[in-house]
Formats: sequence, C-alpha cells, structure tokens
Amino acid sequence: MHLVIVGNGVAGVTAAMAVRAADPRAEITIVSGESEFFFSRTALMYAFMDVMQRRDLEPYERKLFREQRLTLRQDWAVDLDAGARELRLAGGATLRYDKLLLATGSRGRRAPWERPLDGVVRFVSLQDLDACERLTPGTRRAVVAGGGLIGVELVECLVHHRVPVTFLVREPSYWPAALSPEEGELVAAHIRAQGVDLRLNSEIESMQGEGRVTGVTTKAGEQIPCELVGVTIGVEPNVEWLRAVKTPPALNRGIVTDAAFRTSLPGVFAAGDVAEVEGRIEPLWYAAKRQGQAVAQSILGQSMQYAPPAYYNSAKFFHLEWTCAGETQGPGRFRKLPGREASVRVIERDGIAVGFSMLGTRWNHRVLTRWIEERRRVDEVMGRLSEAQYDVEFGRVAL
Amino acid sequence: MIRDRLYHDLTNRGITGWIVAALLVWFYIALYFTENLTPVAQTFGLSSKWDLYGVLYTVAVVTGGIAVIRKYGHNRYQVVRTSVVMFVQIVFAFSIPMMLKALHQPEYYLSYFWPLKFDYMNPEYLFNQPWPFVVYTLAASLVIVPLLGALLGKRWYCSWVCGCGGLANTMGEPWRHLSDKSSAAWKFEKVSIYSVLGVSLLLTSLLFYSWFTKSKAPEVVQFQTWYGLIVGSILSGAVGTGLYPLGGTRVWCRFFCPMAALLGITQKAGKRFHIRVKEDMCISCGLCSKYCEMGIDVRAYAQRNESFTRASCVGCGICSEVCPRGVLRLENQSELVQIRSGR
Ligand SMILES: Cc1cc2nc3c(=O)[nH]c(=O)nc-3n(C[C@H](O)[C@H](O)[C@H](O)COP(=O)(O)OP(=O)(O)OC[C@H]3O[C@@H](n4cnc5c(N)ncnc54)[C@H](O)[C@@H]3O)c2cc1C
Ligand code: SF4
Ligand code: SF4
Repeated sequence: MHLVIVGNGVAGVTAAMAVRAADPRAEITIVSGESEFFFSRTALMYAFMDVMQRRDLEPYERKLFREQRLTLRQDWAVDLDAGARELRLAGGATLRYDKLLLATGSRGRRAPWERPLDGVVRFVSLQDLDACERLTPGTRRAVVAGGGLIGVELVECLVHHRVPVTFLVREPSYWPAALSPEEGELVAAHIRAQGVDLRLNSEIESMQGEGRVTGVTTKAGEQIPCELVGVTIGVEPNVEWLRAVKTPPALNRGIVTDAAFRTSLPGVFAAGDVAEVEGRIEPLWYAAKRQGQAVAQSILGQSMQYAPPAYYNSAKFFHLEWTCAGETQGPGRFRKLPGREASVRVIERDGIAVGFSMLGTRWNHRVLTRWIEERRRVDEVMGRLSEAQYDVEFGRVAL
Repeated sequence: MIRDRLYHDLTNRGITGWIVAALLVWFYIALYFTENLTPVAQTFGLSSKWDLYGVLYTVAVVTGGIAVIRKYGHNRYQVVRTSVVMFVQIVFAFSIPMMLKALHQPEYYLSYFWPLKFDYMNPEYLFNQPWPFVVYTLAASLVIVPLLGALLGKRWYCSWVCGCGGLANTMGEPWRHLSDKSSAAWKFEKVSIYSVLGVSLLLTSLLFYSWFTKSKAPEVVQFQTWYGLIVGSILSGAVGTGLYPLGGTRVWCRFFCPMAALLGITQKAGKRFHIRVKEDMCISCGLCSKYCEMGIDVRAYAQRNESFTRASCVGCGICSEVCPRGVLRLENQSELVQIRSGR
C-alpha cells in the first residue's frame, strides 16, 4: 500500500506513525509545503520570543522519520485526480497513491479591510513567523486585530520585543466566546498591565500605506499610525487549493467526512483542522492528534466511529493560565480568589455542573471532565474543587 | 534591540558565550594548577586562593539566587528551593568552614558527602577526625543520602543542597537550556556517569583494603592522584562549571558526578518521586525539554501521556514552571497506579 499524506502537521504525522506501527510494510509519503520536518505550530510564539530556536520546535528527532521509513517531501500539492489516484505537486512530480490523507490544517482568516501591503501579518505558519521577525525591528507601533488566543500570543511576542501594541477587539468584553464578562475583565486588566493599549468595541475600517502599511483607521474614525498589522481574526480550514483541483472532494466549511474520516472520494480521507467530521470542526492540537490516531484505523481498513470526548482546553494570556472543561457559557457560579489574579467559575444547569472555567491557577482537567460525565451537583463540586487543583508543590492556592 | 542580541549571543553559544567560557576555564586552570590567585586573595585579606574561591562562589550563588527568585517569584516551589540552596551555601559551605578555620580547626563542609566529596570516605583521613564527624559522615553517606533519595528523589540533594547544583540553578540559570537533548547524549550519559561511579567505588574499596592491610601500593597512590586531578579538578571544575556557556549548567552533574549516579539509582529504586503528566493536555511545544538542564526530552514523555522518573532528573521543577499548559507536576507518591487513573 502506498499511503500519501498531504500535510505534516500533528494530524498527518500522528496518522503516519500509527499506520507504520500497525503495518511495517506500507510505503508512506508525507508531502508538506511549509517545512520539511514536523514542527509544533503551538510553539510559534516561543520561537518569535527567542526562547526557542527553530529546531527546538520539532517534537521528534529527525532520525525518527528515517527509522520509521516515512518519506518526507517538501512541496505543495496542487492537483488531485481521484480517478487515476494521482496527486500532482507544485514541483512537477506526480505521486500515485492507494490511500490519500488530506491533513492540510487551517489558515488565518482574511479580513475584508485587508490590503496586500508589506507589514500585514498573520501568525499561523513558519512563513508568518519569518515575516514577523523581519518586520519587528522597523516597527514603532503595531496594531493587532482580533482578540482570540492567537491574537494575544502575537501581542505577547511584540511586547516581549518592546514594540508598543494597540490591540483591537471587536467584542465589548474580552473573548466572550469562552470567558464570562467578569473573567474578560480580569484578563483585559492583566493584558493592560503588560503595557498593551487594549481597546474593546473596536474594529478596523481601513488600512493606509503604499508598499508598507503606515496606519489603520478604526470604525470609530480614529487613525492609528503603525508599521505592522497583525490579523488574528480566527482560522478556517485550509481548503482553497482543493477548489481548483480536477476532482475536488465534497467541501463545506472544511472537507466533509463521515465519522470514519472518509471523504466523498474513494480512498481519500481527511483529518485534523481541515476536516469537517459529521458537521463538526475541531481546530485544536489535541483534537488533531486524536483524529490522526483515529484516521489511521480507518486507513488500515478497520471499522471505526469517531466520537470526540468532552471538550476541554487550556491557554495562557501572558502570565494568566486558563483551563476549561465542558461548557463555558451559561449561568454559573463565579468566584474571584482573594488576593490574586485568579478565579473559578462553574457553569450549571438544573443544579448540575456542566462546565468549568478556571483562571490564574492550575487544574487537572481530567478530574473536571469526570465530574461533568458523572453529572455531579454544583454544590458538591464547589466543595470538592481542591481535588482538581494542580498547583506546584508548596504552591497550593487557597480557594 | 542591541541588548536582546547581546543576551542571545551570550546564552546561545555566540562569540560572547565562547569568551565567557574561555575566561571561566582559564580561571579554573589558574585556581587548580597555579598560585596566581594567591596574591589576589591576599590583597582582599584572605589567607588562600581557596578562600577567595569560596567568597566568589557564595556571591555567585546569592546574586544568581536573588535573580532566580525574582524571575520565578510566582512559583512557590522555586522560591523555597532557591532560598534553601542559598542558605546551605552561605551557612554550611561557607560560614561554618571559615569559622572553623578561624578557630584553627579542620574545615568541614557538612553539606558535601562521599562520593562527591571523595576524601571524606578515605579511611586514612576519616578515622583521624574527631568521632562526631566520623559518625556524621558515615551516617550521612551510607544511610541518609540514599534513604532521602528513595523517599524524595535525588532532588533533595542535587537541587536543594548541593553546591554544584546550587551554582547551576542560580548563576547558571541563563544557560540551562544549552544541555544536549539528543538520544545520543543520553546514551553517552549512561556510559559516562556509571563509569565514573564504578571508578570511584573501586578506588574507595582499594583505599579501605590498603588501610586494613596497612600497606598502600604505589599504584593506589597514583590512582588516587589521577582521580583527584581528572574527576575533582578537570571534570567538576573546569569542564563542569567552565563550560556553562557552551554545554549548559549540568555537564558535571549529568555526565560525571558519582553522587548523582548513586542518587539516581535510589530515585529509580524508590519509585516515589516522579513527574506526573496531565493526560492529553500537552501541545508538544517543547519548552520543557528546552529548559531541562539535564537534557531530558520531557516532551517525549508528556506528548505520549507518560508519567515518568528518570535517573538523571534532579527535580529542579523548571519543566513544570515553563510548561504553558500546566501539564507537568513533580510529586512524591508511591502509588503510580493513582496517577494512571487520573486522580
Ligand atoms: C499560533 C498558534 C497557536 C496555537 N496554539 C494552540 C494551543 O495552544 N492549543 C491547541 O489546542 N491548539 C493550538 N493551535 C491550533 C493547532 O496548532 C492546530 O489545531 C493543529 O496544528 C492542527 O494540526 P493539523 O495537523 O490539522 O494541521 P497543521 O498543523 O496546520 O498542518 C497542516 C500542514 O499542511 C500543509 N499544507 C497545507 N496545504 C498544503 C498543500 N496544498 N500541499 C502541501 N502541504 C500543505 C501545511 O504546510 C501544514 O504544514 C494553535 C495554532 C496557532 C497557529
Ligand atoms: S525533568 Fe524537569 S525537574 Fe527533572 S531535571 Fe529536567 S527540568 Fe528539572
Ligand atoms: S512544556 Fe508542557 S505543553 Fe510544552 S511540550 Fe512540555 S509538557 Fe507539553
């Protein structure tokens, strides 16, 4: 069997290793345009901050790919002929496959006000990182638009390099998709305390400059001179290239698949950020890794039904750590922890705990998701919260 | 920008890093093999070059320690641990020996034990000391050190008490990430550190044999001299500390220290100390591996959800500190089963 994988992100590489573990004879080729070796996209910010070097981003030693006989090709896939089972690459080569896995991840969303000027960056790929590093020295002020998790990471990097940053967030409170207004306030105050000019209720209307960007105008009509604009208004499945191929798979927001990651084309699978599995897209590292494991079974011809476990996530807003489990929205009990930048929030429905959102201290999400699965009562859970704490030794935080 | 670039250069094997390494090695050579530092010591009113070294060492641990506490002030483990390291250095590794010397007594370094302080288990030396010291040394080296190693992990010594580790974790902090993470380095480590341990055990046995039989072969005397030169001066001093800016801060501790080797064995055998990995939360960013001074590829364990105990882990706790997802937790607990079940 020749398995060709497009995309050497966590989904593609995890799938490759799982297939190799089960089938020592399969021929496995991984094609990816961005980099020759698998790297951690999640660590882009640490490379930008210079606390890690490029090579440190690679989760596996390079020799592992040799040992596991995974053939790596740095190239872009540009055409797909599912009838002939052929994939054409930008470099001109054509690969014949028996099974094909599309794991092309996400790309940064484009904004309507964007113009193709030097100084406009996203923060998703290694090439974005190159651009950020090149542009930072000549930047007197940067504007970052979009208050999601990638936005705050980009802001942190720029602050680290002592670049003054104006951070424009469209919503009236910080990241309402997951944080309650009180939590949003805590996070906003923390971000401002790092010297960031954070503006809520604020959006870009247009952009100025010839060649290099020189400023932006907000919807409120304010002009902000700047040499760098970070566009971090979310990501979307990276499917554009598939719209132009000879035989595109069924596409919706992402590549449409069933619960076994099969696309509409024979022998073609999709997993990771790019896959819309039964209508659901999970743009998360853990999910992409899980899907990579799972799709391998399907590729190997085993019957499987992917069922994502209870949702959880974690992130960091500068120095504020955050863990969530289950639902993050809806009525709940919020408590600010005395004397520190920290809070706990338990989301409830009919007296049952259905979600947790914990800011500023460390938590074991496994205990939290178990409580949700066991449908524990909020009163009970509030009294037992300390069982889920995960602080360092000597550092147990009083709740 | 210039400040950042200079710092990068100094801490990532740039020209300034090499210059500092060369200066440190030169300092150690001057210290161990010449008397050039004696007049310097005397101008400061100190009686010997070793006193000068003690002063410099203590100043380095204290200033570095203050910087570390400021950097990791939000992490209680780091604050407590670093305070203890500074305290031990000031009191046991500096003040007490200096006071003993001022009182014309032998200088005892009560925070150093065999086999790190090799001479303390040399019967010719040991049994000529006052009995409280004999009892202290025997009890500490043979009972307390391995027992605490089994109960708390080698960290109780290597990153809470020991002066070598103390310097690494204070003044050495800016270079900790330079340790080699490759599997080849791990292979080398396993050979080198247990070889040094073997050699030091052999030498100690020979010394005891000579003492019992009251006849010391000239080969044993020579062996002793060479061990002192290679292990004591070159590996622990010039290489161990001199090469901070090139090989990271724990070259000595990781590849050569016989005490670390023994403690590592007790740490593994004790089955209590471990680094717990929170299930399915690792984003493979690699900060833990990068900042592990022992060159342990922590990410390799974290990304496959494997709680672990590595013989070389000194329990400095920095992997846990830098992890942006709070995946790692240092623990002393006997029941690994509990970890697996996610409790
Ligand atoms: C800055 C940043 C921080 C993040 N932090 C977190 C976090 O903390 N936690 C979390 O859960 N998630 C995080 N994520 C999301 C996480 O990185 C993704 O969910 C994950 O990387 C998806 O993996 P993947 O394998 O599906 O795709 P990707 O990692 O995106 O890999 C896709 C690969 O496919 C290649 N490719 C695309 N098109 C083609 C083509 N036509 N031909 C050849 N190759 C192609 C690309 O070059 C890329 O290398 C973060 C993302 C970013 C950008
Ligand atoms: S594994 Fe962690 S605690 Fe152990 S030595 Fe490395 S950084 Fe320190
Ligand atoms: S620092 Fe944390 S998240 Fe990053 S690789 Fe290590 S364990 Fe995983």
